[in-house]
Amino acid sequence: SGINAEYGSSGINAEYGGTPALVTKDGSVDGSKVFYDPGSNKNFTYKYLTGEATNVEGGTRDNGAEKWRKAVEDALAGYLKDNFPAFGSAVYGKLEGDTVSLTVAIENHKYNPDNFYCGKWTSRWSVEFPTSGGYAKVSGHMKVQVHYYEDGNVQLHTKKSAEESVQMGSVEEGARNLVEFIGRAEREYQLGINENYREMSATTFKSLRRALPITKNLVDWHKLHSLNIGRDLMNRTT
Amino acid sequence: MAGQQVDCALDLMRRLPPQDIDKNLSDLIDLVPHLVDELLSSIDQPLKVAKDPKKNKDYLLCDYNRDGDSYRSPWSNEFFPPIEDGNAPSDRMRKLEEQANDAFDVYREQYFDGGISSCYFWDEEHGGFSGAILIKKTGDLKNKFRSSWDSIHVIEAHEKGAGRNAHYKLISTVMLWLQNTREGSGQMDLGGSLSRQVEKDLPVTADMFSHIVNIGGMVERMENNIRGILETVYFGRTLTVLNDMRSLVDLESKKAHDKLNQ
Repeated sequence: SGINAEYGSSGINAEYGGTPALVTKDGSVDGSKVFYDPGSNKNFTYKYLTGEATNVEGGTRDNGAEKWRKAVEDALAGYLKDNFPAFGSAVYGKLEGDTVSLTVAIENHKYNPDNFYCGKWTSRWSVEFPTSGGYAKVSGHMKVQVHYYEDGNVQLHTKKSAEESVQMGSVEEGARNLVEFIGRAEREYQLGINENYREMSATTFKSLRRALPITKNLVDWHKLHSLNIGRDLMNRTT
Repeated sequence: MAGQQVDCALDLMRRLPPQDIDKNLSDLIDLVPHLVDELLSSIDQPLKVAKDPKKNKDYLLCDYNRDGDSYRSPWSNEFFPPIEDGNAPSDRMRKLEEQANDAFDVYREQYFDGGISSCYFWDEEHGGFSGAILIKKTGDLKNKFRSSWDSIHVIEAHEKGAGRNAHYKLISTVMLWLQNTREGSGQMDLGGSLSRQVEKDLPVTADMFSHIVNIGGMVERMENNIRGILETVYFGRTLTVLNDMRSLVDLESKKAHDKLNQ
């Protein structure tokens, strides 16, 4: 049960009644299989073996943080639609004393077992700030995994952390700035990976093994025989 | 029961990150120690290198030149660390090995411009012989990219037609590893392996070297083929999956643009 919760913490998409919900460590209610979906304010039980969300019941929303949480959720919706063809996301909010904490979780995946591949993107961003606003440090990380497995096992694993001071200002302004930073960080990460690939295929890969010898012809294996005659002669005379 | 466990072990290795092969294999052996020989012979690991102190030359390690914890060098034909009565090839196989290593040294230079190669051959109980041709190339640390290539070719040969032909079966695995840490992209690890196999009937002569010609040709064509597939899978497919999950192009305006062009 503890192991399952650890697996869930990486962000999995679950669905109930057509509404997507995310399974994350941040949303864990009982440290095991009950999770909270902040958007709909509902708790659900996640069945690890089937990927279903069941047993949906009312959740406990922290109303103190709700106006900030909702503002970020609304601003995020636009960003997600612009950049992710499909996605799961959750914005968690908490108010403790005078401090608002917000956590943004984004997940997208692509499963294509017919063509022997699958991929997953997860990112998580969090920020804490006083109810009066001001500059606050947003920090988080992004992870990409891709698995290709036709007659082999090839995997891409990449991760990056990022942080920046963001002006949390008024509720709407703060939400806009937060989402703008997230968009910029995630775009930079994706562009960085693309740039790596360009370099790997243009230079690194080629310098490991040529496509053909410099002669542009396949090796003449018959010719290599004379080497052996030479070696046999050497062995006999020494 | 043991057969099922081996299948499960192989299944796990197909799914777990290939970057952790050594650790995962070691963990599997801890789980089912009675299957250690089966696991070591059926799970490919990135090739390790050792130095032959007698010939002062590097050679590659695999299950085929292993005896206990010692490995036989194709250069001196001795085990290191030294052991009594190590698993050595017959005289005929040793001669084939020497010829193969010389020939593949040249092949390696022509394609890899460096690296290490090692060939091992052994008689098969029911006639014919088998061999393993290994190549390892580690890229230099250009632009902070760590890279390496491991080839593992296993060949089976059976003479037929009154010694005029031989039937060859080649199973090849190429492992390709690329790692990099950079400001823009963070930590990146792209690695794993692809396998292919081919069978062929080819003519042979009384000269043992005709086997080398046949095997060399098969290995060369196979490696060229796999190299092409690696290029497509690594730099095409895996990147496409990422760019499909998150679009670099603004999707909303793309939708509008597509509608206009309908």
